[in-house]
Parts: sequence; structure tokens; C-alpha cells
Amino acid sequence: MREDCERTRESLSRWVDGHLSVSDAEAIRLHLGGCAACDRERRQLEKLEFSLKSVLVSDVPRIDFEPFWAGVRERITKKPRRREAIMEWARSTFTPPALAWTVPAVIVVLLGVLSMDSFWRSGWQRNNFAAVESIDAHGRNIALLREDETKTTVIWLYQNQEGEDESSGENAETNPSF
Amino acid sequence: MESSDWELVQKCQAGKIDAFQELVSRYHQKIYTVIVGLLRNREDALEVAQETFFRAYRKIKSFQGGSSFYTWLYRIAVNIAIDSQRRQKRNPLDFRETMDGLFEEQNEVAKDPFSDVHDRELREKLVSAINDLTPEHKAVIILRTVEGLSYKDIGEILGCSEGTVMSRLHYARKKLQQKLSVFL
Repeated sequence: MREDCERTRESLSRWVDGHLSVSDAEAIRLHLGGCAACDRERRQLEKLEFSLKSVLVSDVPRIDFEPFWAGVRERITKKPRRREAIMEWARSTFTPPALAWTVPAVIVVLLGVLSMDSFWRSGWQRNNFAAVESIDAHGRNIALLREDETKTTVIWLYQNQEGEDESSGENAETNPSF
Repeated sequence: MESSDWELVQKCQAGKIDAFQELVSRYHQKIYTVIVGLLRNREDALEVAQETFFRAYRKIKSFQGGSSFYTWLYRIAVNIAIDSQRRQKRNPLDFRETMDGLFEEQNEVAKDPFSDVHDRELREKLVSAINDLTPEHKAVIILRTVEGLSYKDIGEILGCSEGTVMSRLHYARKKLQQKLSVFL
């Protein structure tokens, strides 16, 4: 297809609707005068419009105003049921502009609640020296140091210093020799 | 002298239901025609048309006159019709029966300048092709062809730009043309 034919067919819809500028409409008119294929396309489009109007407009019956208005009035005067009232409230409350700031606000609050929750659960025990366990295994002292923040466990082997007896284990733990 | 739409709207906002009745009498047929075009079912269309005016009445206090009353009303109607269409998803048999009903009753309808399209097959194909369009494409075709609204008004009703209206119209017509090429 030639470039000007392509351009004409792209604009035909607007041309039929009268939505082209005077100069563009004139250019289309001139092209249609000299191009049988595009003119056929134009005729098809006009016939389509004509048929559409025929089907969409003429098939619709006229409706009597009085019964129609009675139906509308009944809806207006009828007290809404609870479910309808809730739906109506939700529709009028959760409008797109309201949701635009509500959704980010809810996300921020949720994140805040989650971080508070994790703080309350583990925040109090958080201490680099929090969990030191001492185990006496076959005459050797083993200390396990669990560090919460980095989730590191250090296994710590040490010997009792000379002169230390079993009862002075606390000193040995605080001053171990490797 | 006949009151303008805006004057009637202001009276409605002050609680005068008679003014709303006047607005309904002005637009009920147009709204009904557009909804029949979208739904292709008269009973459903009547329900949706009444619901449109009911919701318009409920929301009339929020109408500030930024757009014309009829584009505001059409926007409500098109939104309800599209929602209803998506919810119902009528089966093809129901649709065909409905359309046969429309064809049979055509004689009851007043003669119009377009009533000389006699080809029943073309009409059936056309209706079927319209029904295959997406609700958004169907809406632009109906608002343009039936109501003759400008691209700007259609854009306001459907909440999109004039450019989108142009492209939807072009695409929808192209699709209809392709499906009906034998008859056109």
C-alpha cells in the first residue's frame, strides 16, 4: 500500500466523523477523488455507519415516561437495606483519590507494626554476651557463646588455671587461658 | 421559558424532586437507547437505566457543573452498564433470542431514516460483531454513532483522552469492517 493511501485510511474514521482540520479534510477529499481503492474503503465505512445507526437506533423502542419515572421514584423513596447501605458507604468512601493515599499509609502502618513486633520479641535479649553457656566435658571446659545480632556461635575451649579448683569456675570463665 | 439542565440540577440539590423528574423526562430515552446498545437486552437495559437515574439522584449534591449534566449522567450509565455486562456474561443463546425479539418487534418501532436496511443477514452479523467488541470499544461506537457525541465528550464520559477515543473508534470500526467485509 502506498504511503499516502495508508495515511488516508488511518484518517478516514476521523474524516467520516468530521473531526479533521479543514486542510487535512481537503487533502483526504483530493486523494479519494484519485484513488479507487481508498474510495471503496470510504464507501464501506459509510455503509457500516449507516447500518450501525439502523441497528442501534431503530431497534430501540420508545419507553413510556410515567412507568419509568415510577420505577426511579420507588428506588429513591425506598429505604436502603443494610447491605446496600454498607456497599454505598464503601463506594463513596473508597474512591480512587482516597485509596491513593490510604494504601501507602496502610503499608507504612503495617511495616511499623511488624518492626515493633520483632523489637518486642527479641529486642530485650539482644546482647552480644547474652548467652554464654559453660559445659564441663571430660575434664575440659567448653563455653558456647551465642551472639544474637549476627547469629554467630563461638565454641570456646579452655583449661582451668593452676590453683583453680572446681568451685572457682566463675573466675575461670571470666579469665580463660587458651 | 424552559429551565436549563444546570438550573434544574441546582433545584435538585436544594431537595426539589420535581426538578429531578424534569431531568429524567429529558434524558430517559437517550440513556435507555445507549444502554440497550451496550447490553442488547431490553429488560436489563430498563433496570440499568432506572438505576442510573437513582444513582444520579443520590450523587447530585456532588455535581459541581464542571462538565455538562448529560456527560455526567452518561458516565454513570456507561459504568453501570459495563459492570453489569461483565457480571452477567450472558450465554450466546440468550443473546440470540433477545435479538430475534428485537427484530420481530421492529415493526412496532416508529419509522426512521435508516429503516431501509433490510438485509436480515447483515443485521444479524452486525449485531454479532458488535457483541464481540470489548465493552470499551462498544461504548465508543455507541456514543459516537447513536448519540453523535464529540470525541471530547466521549473522553469525559469514559474517563480517557480524545486520542484514546480516536484510536478506539478506529480499531472498533476496523474490526467491524473486517467481520462484515462480505456485506459492505
